[in-house]
Amino acid sequence: MTYMAIPNIGNYTIALATAVESLGIKAWASTATTPEALKLGIAAAPESVCLPLKAHLGHFIEADRAGVEYAFMVNSVGTCRLRYYRHMIERILKDLGLKIKIFGLGFDGFKPPIVRHFDPGPITFLKPLFHTALKIKIIDALEAAAWRTRAIEIIPGNTTLVMNTLLVELSESKTMARTRAIRKKVAGCFAEIPVDKEKKPLRVGLVGEISFLRDKCLNKNIEYILGSQGIEPRNFFLLGEELKNITRIVFLNQNRRKYLSKIADRYLQSTVGGHALDSVAHSIRCADEGYDGMIHLCPSGCMPEVSVRPILKRVSKDKDIPILEMSYDEHTCGVGISTRLEAFADVLMERRKKNSSLSHRGERAMNR
Amino acid sequence: MIKRLQKSAGVYIDTGNKFLKNISSEWMGKSGANSRSSLRIGIPRMFFYYIYPNLWETFFRELGMKPIVSMPSTTKTVEKASRISETEHCLPNKLFDAHLAELVGNVDMVFVPRVLSTIKNHLSCPKFGPLPDAARADIARGTEVLSIDIDETRRPLSKTLLLLGTKLNIQKSKTLSAIQSSFSAMESANKKMVRPDKKKGEPRFLLIGHPYTIHDNFIAGPILNKLESMGVEVELMSFADDTPAKSYILWSTANKIYHTINALSREEYDGVIQLTVFNCGCDSMMMDTYRHILKEKNVPYLYLMVDEHSAQSGMDTRVEAFIDSLRWRQ
Repeated sequence: MTYMAIPNIGNYTIALATAVESLGIKAWASTATTPEALKLGIAAAPESVCLPLKAHLGHFIEADRAGVEYAFMVNSVGTCRLRYYRHMIERILKDLGLKIKIFGLGFDGFKPPIVRHFDPGPITFLKPLFHTALKIKIIDALEAAAWRTRAIEIIPGNTTLVMNTLLVELSESKTMARTRAIRKKVAGCFAEIPVDKEKKPLRVGLVGEISFLRDKCLNKNIEYILGSQGIEPRNFFLLGEELKNITRIVFLNQNRRKYLSKIADRYLQSTVGGHALDSVAHSIRCADEGYDGMIHLCPSGCMPEVSVRPILKRVSKDKDIPILEMSYDEHTCGVGISTRLEAFADVLMERRKKNSSLSHRGERAMNR
Repeated sequence: MIKRLQKSAGVYIDTGNKFLKNISSEWMGKSGANSRSSLRIGIPRMFFYYIYPNLWETFFRELGMKPIVSMPSTTKTVEKASRISETEHCLPNKLFDAHLAELVGNVDMVFVPRVLSTIKNHLSCPKFGPLPDAARADIARGTEVLSIDIDETRRPLSKTLLLLGTKLNIQKSKTLSAIQSSFSAMESANKKMVRPDKKKGEPRFLLIGHPYTIHDNFIAGPILNKLESMGVEVELMSFADDTPAKSYILWSTANKIYHTINALSREEYDGVIQLTVFNCGCDSMMMDTYRHILKEKNVPYLYLMVDEHSAQSGMDTRVEAFIDSLRWRQ
């Protein structure tokens, strides 16, 4: 059986594996970069490149050692370093003497090279693609439900358990019918979890670089830590939304970025590259919607994200919303991250108490 | 399909028209400058100052303004930079913030263009994108920030300058003559940088890097001094206007370095020294490629990284060791 290694984008890797099966081969992937893979990547890559490259590289080296022949890497058309990832990874793997062949998503003619190479029939190719789209939709819904319930669950760990069971079922589902059944089940499964309905959790938006928003190993499981602190996070990278935007750009010539750039216009008048504009725009939106705080994640030295940090600081001052800036490198450890998040949660809690007591006083004064 | 995606993926917002409202006669009165001739415009000695040598001072002087360029960067600039700038910026960006802070308060207006691309169909470093916005948000807050989008893919530089003149409410004929004289000033500045042909028997090195690193006083100064004192001739890489052929690299400087390295031969240069700065994204990605090409050509290659804490003695040791090893080889 031929295998293909695919990059990790969190739980969405499950859906991508289905897409790879459309080519008549099996996927070799995990939903989070393993620490071993990261170690391999750090050893092989130049020291000053960003951490996502090291994670991808390590993943592919690990795949090659496991005997995987092909790998697949996302392409970027942007201004940041992601554009050169594939080229660099290919070169490093060649230097190491590894034989794994990497495909991009580029078009050179009617069919992408990856499809031409395996050349599946139209039915075997198209059906799994629709299946993938459905799975991505379900994972989007799962993520959103997990953020909400984890913050108010009574028995800690219940939500993660339910989510993991559903994800395992989803990855094992090979037919559309079964996947649709899972889709119907999702809402019920989450409703069964005992929750404290009176509790009003703190709401925090997560913005920043995509692989850090998605990969649990790289961001040290930030969503789980926040949830166990009683914070409801909202992660602003959902693959379903992102793909919807791309199809809109290609077929309808509509871009969501235009809407975001309108929001961010007062602070940032350029798209910069990567998800820097999204970070600024979502921070402004969250401040207006009454979120308690924002967390900005990026690898240390990320070109677009770091360059908008002075602007984020200004947004934080103007809109009165705390923004925690977190940058990760090879030496970041989970305990350090959880300490910082706990401190941030305490600050937010105190802020909320102070604000509510202030508003109470205001109401009382009005009543008099 | 990809082409179309590229085109629409970058939403383009021209900040130009907005500026027309900003610079009005009211504002001129508010800032205390009673006429345009006494309007002091600050130009930070970083990034675009080195990318377009001599252009900006000449242009604003010809328009009848008073351009004030910040002093060359020294260790004091770096100290200030580490105090006021974002901790994770690359060194030139930190220095830029310090230069800007030096100007703020001494000038009526600072000039920070948004350099999106300097060569047609190429991109510049993504850090240039939010530069004027970051200046407005943080360091140059309270000071008027004059900005214009320099995007060679969309319009040539001369048109951008013409637009800048319109925004400053200056007659078209005056702007046109200013553009001509500033272009010739830039050309002569570029010509000055070109060194004469190699003399036989003497070692000669090529220094590659971004225009704002190889010409900066703090970053390149100590290394150039050391090489000079050792009697080694160094040629700084030239960025004079000629469009490089397309390659897989879209960053304009990186592509230019790539083509320069591809074209050079062992007879011309005895070695290549790459000057890079801490946290530079472009260099971190391209360094490997450069090393590969030069290894194939059998040209010695030294990679020097400068950061806030780099000391003269450390650089001296590395440069000396490199030159000595080359002498033994001969």
